[in-house]
Amino acid sequence: MSQSQHRTRRHFFQSCGVGLGKMALAQLALEQGAQAAVAVTDPLTARPSHFPAKAKSVIFLFMAGGPSQLELFDFKPKLQSLNGQPVPESFMKGKRFAFMDTFTKDVPKLLGTKRTFARHGQTGTYVSDIFPHTAGVVDDLTFLNAVTTDVFNHAPAKLFCNTGSAQSGRPGMGAWVTYGIGSESRDLPGFVVLQSGPRGPRGGAPLWGSGFLPTAYQGVPFRNVGDPILDLASPPGMTPERQKQAIGAIGDLNGMRLEATGDPEIATRIAAYEMAYRMQSSAPELMDLGSESKATLDLYGPEVGKPSFARNCLLARRLVQRGVRFVQLYHTDWDHHGGPGQDLEHGFEKVCHQVDHPISGLVRDLKQSGLLESTLVVWGGEFGRTPMGEVRETTGRNHHIESATMWMAGAGVKRGVRHGVTDELGFAAAEGKVHMHDVQATILHLLGLDHRKLTFRFQGRDFRLTDVHGELIRPILA
Amino acid sequence: MIALLVVLSVGKPIDFNTEIRPILSDRCFKCHGPDAKNRKRGLRLDTPEGLTKDIDGDHAVMAGDPDKSVLFQRVTTKDEDDRMPPADVGPALTPKQVDLLRRWIAEGAKWQGHWAFEPVRKNEPPAVDSWTRNGIDPFIYLRLKAEGLTPSAEADRVTLIRRVSLDLLGLPPTPQEVAAFVADKRANAYERLVDRLLTSPHHGERWGRHWLDLARYADSNGYSIDSPRRIWKYRDWVIDAINRDLPFDQFTVEQIAGDLLPGATLDQRIATGFHRNTMLNEEGGIDKEQFRIDAVADRVATTGSVFLGLTLGCARCHDHKFDPISQKEYFQFFAFFNDADEPTLEMGTPDEIKRFKTLKPKLDKMESDLNAYQRKWLKTLSGDEDKAVPTEIATITALGTNQRDDKQWKTLFDYLKPKGLEFPQRIKAIEEIRKQVPRYATTLIMEQRKEPRETHVHIGGDFTRPSDLVTPGVLQVMHKLPATPGRPTRLDLARWLVAADNSLLTRVTVNRVWQQYFGLGLVETESDFGTQGGVPSHPELLDWLANQLPARGWSMKALHRLIVTSATYRQASRQRPELDERDARNRLLGRQNRLRLEGEVIRDSALAVSGMLDRRVGGPSVFPPQPDGVFGFTQIPRVWNTSTGGDRHRRGLYTYIWRSAPHPSLLVFDSPDGQFTCTRRNRSTTPLQALTLLNDQAFVELAQGFARRVEKERASDRERIAWAFTLATGRAPQPAERERLERFLVQQRASFKQAAPAWAATTRVILNLDEFITRE
Repeated sequence: MSQSQHRTRRHFFQSCGVGLGKMALAQLALEQGAQAAVAVTDPLTARPSHFPAKAKSVIFLFMAGGPSQLELFDFKPKLQSLNGQPVPESFMKGKRFAFMDTFTKDVPKLLGTKRTFARHGQTGTYVSDIFPHTAGVVDDLTFLNAVTTDVFNHAPAKLFCNTGSAQSGRPGMGAWVTYGIGSESRDLPGFVVLQSGPRGPRGGAPLWGSGFLPTAYQGVPFRNVGDPILDLASPPGMTPERQKQAIGAIGDLNGMRLEATGDPEIATRIAAYEMAYRMQSSAPELMDLGSESKATLDLYGPEVGKPSFARNCLLARRLVQRGVRFVQLYHTDWDHHGGPGQDLEHGFEKVCHQVDHPISGLVRDLKQSGLLESTLVVWGGEFGRTPMGEVRETTGRNHHIESATMWMAGAGVKRGVRHGVTDELGFAAAEGKVHMHDVQATILHLLGLDHRKLTFRFQGRDFRLTDVHGELIRPILA
Repeated sequence: MIALLVVLSVGKPIDFNTEIRPILSDRCFKCHGPDAKNRKRGLRLDTPEGLTKDIDGDHAVMAGDPDKSVLFQRVTTKDEDDRMPPADVGPALTPKQVDLLRRWIAEGAKWQGHWAFEPVRKNEPPAVDSWTRNGIDPFIYLRLKAEGLTPSAEADRVTLIRRVSLDLLGLPPTPQEVAAFVADKRANAYERLVDRLLTSPHHGERWGRHWLDLARYADSNGYSIDSPRRIWKYRDWVIDAINRDLPFDQFTVEQIAGDLLPGATLDQRIATGFHRNTMLNEEGGIDKEQFRIDAVADRVATTGSVFLGLTLGCARCHDHKFDPISQKEYFQFFAFFNDADEPTLEMGTPDEIKRFKTLKPKLDKMESDLNAYQRKWLKTLSGDEDKAVPTEIATITALGTNQRDDKQWKTLFDYLKPKGLEFPQRIKAIEEIRKQVPRYATTLIMEQRKEPRETHVHIGGDFTRPSDLVTPGVLQVMHKLPATPGRPTRLDLARWLVAADNSLLTRVTVNRVWQQYFGLGLVETESDFGTQGGVPSHPELLDWLANQLPARGWSMKALHRLIVTSATYRQASRQRPELDERDARNRLLGRQNRLRLEGEVIRDSALAVSGMLDRRVGGPSVFPPQPDGVFGFTQIPRVWNTSTGGDRHRRGLYTYIWRSAPHPSLLVFDSPDGQFTCTRRNRSTTPLQALTLLNDQAFVELAQGFARRVEKERASDRERIAWAFTLATGRAPQPAERERLERFLVQQRASFKQAAPAWAATTRVILNLDEFITRE
């Protein structure tokens, strides 16, 4: 991948799908000689990967705030029995946490979960009672129970998970992927971002930015209200017919300019206008769930009819079905410290209920439609939470970088595997520790990309998603 | 480009800096370079001593004898275990690279210091008898000639005036200006035009915005909370400094250390806002010291990129892997900025400031009480804060009291009023106090601490692991800091930056200016002049230009004038097959480049041609229309109270910049978000840009205004179409273009059955043309 930061003036447009004025093209070819066999497309054209890919698309279900693994998947009977005891000093020595001033004022006390855990599926995987629907698809999931990361404040930690660096200014994972292999969709952006919950994720646009990569690769947020894409709808009075006429005129005039200047960037612009026009009909078509059967809608639970995580899960399936490469979902409000609305009972239950049914629906739907064979689903947050309780108005848990649970399902990963174990208190990895960079390396690998080779030269250095780190999580690869 | 240089130099002796150092730097320095801690086998290849050092009787390089040079043996060995670089580090060298190394060693392994650290040459342009207009051109001409290429002819007058107006002012010329220039038969008509443009107040806006990219200017704090901040006085200082052509050395000193100048003026203190454009994390639970230190680190990195073209930030956690910058030197540099405080400059009278300090806390208290009261009542009313209250009300209450617009206040008011509570009284009381709070401008500045901070080297860049204590200091590889009594300050640093023997500042500065005029710098890696950076395409020209800056009194206007009056700049941009074949990226400049305009300038151009531009310079940032839903993805939704009147139609650089959600029509055209210094913008072409220009309310308004203007100023269809086209592109349409537009107009008239929307549809097409958003 030695693609230059600045695309060369002569672009190599390989595929077509766009109706650039043939005359202009022929004219250009004529003027530039046979070597400039110009065919036209945009930077998102699908390209071969480093090696054959297992997954064509990724759906990343991001629980923004840091979901508590100890209330969901990481069952620790010992923690229950030591509930209320001070955490052993050896665990705390030299460690830093968020809210340092209050959290470590007194020795924090261990907090047993109030959830009940049971084994589910043929694999007998522990899932708590708060995730009954997820428990039903547990045999299709591969768990990473000992995930670690580097940073413990929300915005930098989200950046770290999404871009591989705690500093903003690096490309998001979806940007790296579309830079590497483009997208199969001709009518929709290659990297789409969907958001649900009471607010946007901390960290904002840099999470799905293109960083130093060309902006063509940046994630496009689809909105819940109004047009899914900003400025998608034609202005009042501009019917599809009139819009088409306008784009036709713009294309013809731009074609004349292309002839006069010989600048192939104009061909790219003509293609961009035609793609924009297709997006104007394909994006509303995407958002219109009328063609989905009741049975399918029911899979996602009762909230699928309104802006919600449920609807976003269904949209994610529709997006990958249409060839979109990377779909990033954010569901916010997973930060359960114990403040108002942030408790591990009511507040936690609320967000769990919002995602549990839709997640199982997504896995089932992808499986039924065969898309799970070519789609990788990833679930997780920016970090895990401490086995120690945090006492505010109610009880919660603090941010924790030494243990978190994530899972993957679908293309290229084994089903029903549990990889990694935490110690008996759930504080840190005991075996099978994986780092966030390993997760990133593995996601790229499943898309047929070598994380060490997917690089971009910027300010004299070859940058990559995993910086200078990252090992494949081989035990989970199918 | 490297390949091109190599081809050129066949038969000539190998040039270490352009041919050998890039190989060593890219493939070897990571393990055998400046970073002492991670250096393998004690071998370093970035110094002449290291290359030839005797290690147990072996020498990495034995001058004159490739076969006895271990370096050469190891890069050519067939034994995979011995091969360098090792397989897990990277692939083997290419045959071409191996050949270069062989010839270089055979020719005596001559060493040169890295070019950018060598003094700027005092050279004169070579003598050339044709084509050239000033000192720039001989360098360009001879380089093309050596390749068997010729420059392009001068662009036509219409293209020239549009190009230079967009480049110097960021605004297109009016048709009257175009006509006057075309008709001006004086020999120096173009130079007169340039002189006129350079005195326009809009020049400071245009080049001020370029500088604000470097300064990472924004109107909010960044990170997730992203509260608003006031620092537009700094933005205005930049515009003004450029308009009065403040010499660049002084421009630099005032921004780095204006507060430390003897008898510092208000303006000079405002200028230090340059380094207050760092982000501020307000998230709960953070360690504030950590993010203060991140901001100081950003000042180091930005100073490195902007004034030195060095990636200083790389040495924060370890010695630099490629350039001779140790981690200790990094923290010595860091100490300059660590000795500063970060206050707010209050520009009120003493009495105003005093009243503000009494009233503001009172107001804040009343507002937070109101919020608490409101939460309590909403809870009582609904039983549960989140559930029973209508979504609309919940959204409003999630905003702070000072973030709600009038409509939202009214909605909330109407909802709560029937409940017979004390909201009206409370809100009224707050409004009373708010009226009494004096308003005056404030801005963020740097200020030297009375007692300097202790600065330590942070092990691994981790501030919780301090090691050696350091004092402020500069990089050893560069010129010395002037001797000063006592602890060096930012003022010493600033004077060191602009010192005559700084080999980097002038080169980096002229290169960045060059980049704005041609799309790429003479050194393509404009923020990295280190060993991993690019080699200059025209090294002699770069040095000649670098010398011109101090020689012409550090006048930036003189530099602009020099470049835009050169024959090189004035060339046509039309592509030529024979050039493209030899020089696909046009590094040799056998023609000009067509450059897509920046987001701000696209907006400004549309405002100008529609006749709606409000030309006022400076003032608080404004809120032009933006589509709904921009804040749907931010942690804290913000209110965008769309400006009315003239402020709706101000230039793009005055648009309020929320770092977490910059104005979408700017962002879509690659404007930076102000998170970090941006030394070059991308120039992308995407479908989202098409949607913005076609459908965005702001552009639709402009197309309508444009149509009204054209309808008013011309009578017939044909005249109107020609006029609209001329306003937008500077030139009259070709017959085929005119006919196509006429056909479109007829079609739209038939469709709308009315004139006004058909004209607006037509002007909309014109505002969407590639030519309109391109400087040709």
